[in-house]
Amino acid sequence: MAAIDASAAARAPREVNRQARTAWGLATPALALMFLILLVPVVVAGVLSFTNYSLGNSGFDWVGFKNYDRLFSRSTYEKMFIATFTYVAVVVPVSVALGLGAALLVNSLGRIGDVYKTIYFLPVMATLLAMAIVWEFMLHPTIGVINQTLELSCGTFLEVIPFLGNGCADGFPLWLGDRDYAIWVLCFIGIWQGFGFNMVLYLAGLTAVHRELYHAAEMDGAKSAWERFRLVTWPALGPTTVFVVTISCIRAFQVFDTVEAFWPQGGGPNKSTYVMMFAIFEKGVQQNLIGIGSAITMLFLVFVMFLTLIQRWLVERKVHY
Amino acid sequence: MTRDIWKHMILILGAIIVLAPFYMMLSYSFKSPGEIDRGVGGFFGAQEMMVDPRCVKLRDPNRDEVAAAAPQYPGKSDSEIRAAIMAQAEIDCSMRPVVFNYSKAFIEAPLLRYLLNGVIVTASIFFIQVLVALPAAYALAKLKFWGREAVFGLVLFCLLIPVHAIALPLYIMLAKVGLTNTYAALVVPWTISVFGIFLMRQFFMTVPDDLIDAARMDGMTEFAIVWRVMLPTAIPALLAFAIFSIVAHWNDYFWPRIVVTGSRDLFTPPLGLREFKGDADGSFFGPMMATATIIVTPLIVAFLVAQRRFIEGITLSGMK
Repeated sequence: MAAIDASAAARAPREVNRQARTAWGLATPALALMFLILLVPVVVAGVLSFTNYSLGNSGFDWVGFKNYDRLFSRSTYEKMFIATFTYVAVVVPVSVALGLGAALLVNSLGRIGDVYKTIYFLPVMATLLAMAIVWEFMLHPTIGVINQTLELSCGTFLEVIPFLGNGCADGFPLWLGDRDYAIWVLCFIGIWQGFGFNMVLYLAGLTAVHRELYHAAEMDGAKSAWERFRLVTWPALGPTTVFVVTISCIRAFQVFDTVEAFWPQGGGPNKSTYVMMFAIFEKGVQQNLIGIGSAITMLFLVFVMFLTLIQRWLVERKVHY
Repeated sequence: MTRDIWKHMILILGAIIVLAPFYMMLSYSFKSPGEIDRGVGGFFGAQEMMVDPRCVKLRDPNRDEVAAAAPQYPGKSDSEIRAAIMAQAEIDCSMRPVVFNYSKAFIEAPLLRYLLNGVIVTASIFFIQVLVALPAAYALAKLKFWGREAVFGLVLFCLLIPVHAIALPLYIMLAKVGLTNTYAALVVPWTISVFGIFLMRQFFMTVPDDLIDAARMDGMTEFAIVWRVMLPTAIPALLAFAIFSIVAHWNDYFWPRIVVTGSRDLFTPPLGLREFKGDADGSFFGPMMATATIIVTPLIVAFLVAQRRFIEGITLSGMK
């Protein structure tokens, strides 16, 4: 910084002026697009959420808080919140924990561990929509490979397990068509897709943990692997964890591809998987109920911004060890 | 050593679950409809010759065609001639299941067009993102001007807004200016990558000022400095950003689903696959899995070839 200041001070004021103008020239396209594509839509959504606007209508009426009121009183939207929060509350902790576990195991194995790293990262790269369709086939109640595999256990000692025993007697779950299973299957696929990403972030975090810290901990009497993890690894991974949790939350809130692929009509059996992004799509785009769609959008933005702000606050405040 | 075996067992179990859908996808894309229905045939299927019923049906001769073929079959009745033609058609229309699946993937839907659209859209997005973000990042990192802190603050604020979240107002705005169902609609919302600006700015901060001052001495304009001095130094960061951007947009389904309706000409690969699924009856599992395989393969192969770069690129968002 000092170098910039010194060289700037040495320059004539006119030169500084010229540089300022160039700088604004260079930044203007980005600024203009930022306003037009990111800020204006937020304002538009905010305004429209107080109206009953529809595309194709020339005018609209102000309806005050009616859209928001509806969000908090109708049972459809109650199901939307339940589905969204269930998904986030399951996928985030499990995929973070699995990511951390996988990272620790892979890291301790050295070079052979890289094979697992590659494999676990594959779902992150693959087109989620395509993989969702594959999962749908695998979960097919009759010809799907999952139920076919479960049926193999029928007639063997495995039937003592209640789940398998009941399945053999009354048929195995319909999975995607079953309101008791649908949301959990959705969560499972979310975890399947996302934990490799968390693993890689944790692996990057682990490389930054100093070896000396482990030696020091051992000197202080931390003998077991668990003690070393609790005293050294976990605190050192603090910043990574904050980041991993935040980004997992934001990604989980945005779940859409799998829901749309499995249940193109209306968010699953008994609306048990009617997540917010799907609701925005269905209400706002398909049914042209822009007011209500905008209200969901605003709520969604509040959640996401809130999460990110918490993350920034945590990062600035405490997680530096 | 025994402890390592336990670790391997856990990790292998995980790997089986992770790989299962990839295995099934490939396997289904090789098998015949019957084998898929019955769940037999192992990984490759038996690859017995199969007859494509649609192909045969298309070659069912009408009365004129039978009459035209009559000279080739002297002394036969019309129905005999028709049977002979159909028999020939069945021979011509039989093929190995793997050939059937992959050829159907390209014939039943304009898959090549979808792939091309995917390339056009992801490439345009990336190039415009760089074109917009690089100069801004340079200005924010290396030029002193009044309002710089405010602009950077704005960038930090905009990082809070995921584009998918504001898809509805963006869609309304595009519809108002009549841009839905165009390439522009697929590209425009992604032209500004605040994350790209942030990332490149952090990178440019590490570039020594001497380099820029030397370029100024040589009489280069600031604009030229961006593209001829800063760009070459930023190649590693740009490469990582390219991977980040391309993976995100090749795989994106939500936004194309919203702005492209009807016209197949604009479908990106995920949209094409989705439509294929909508049309498909049970016998089309094979071709559909072949389509899925074709769509997923480019990124997977690129990833396997350049793993380190990919992991860097995808986890970019983790850098501070």
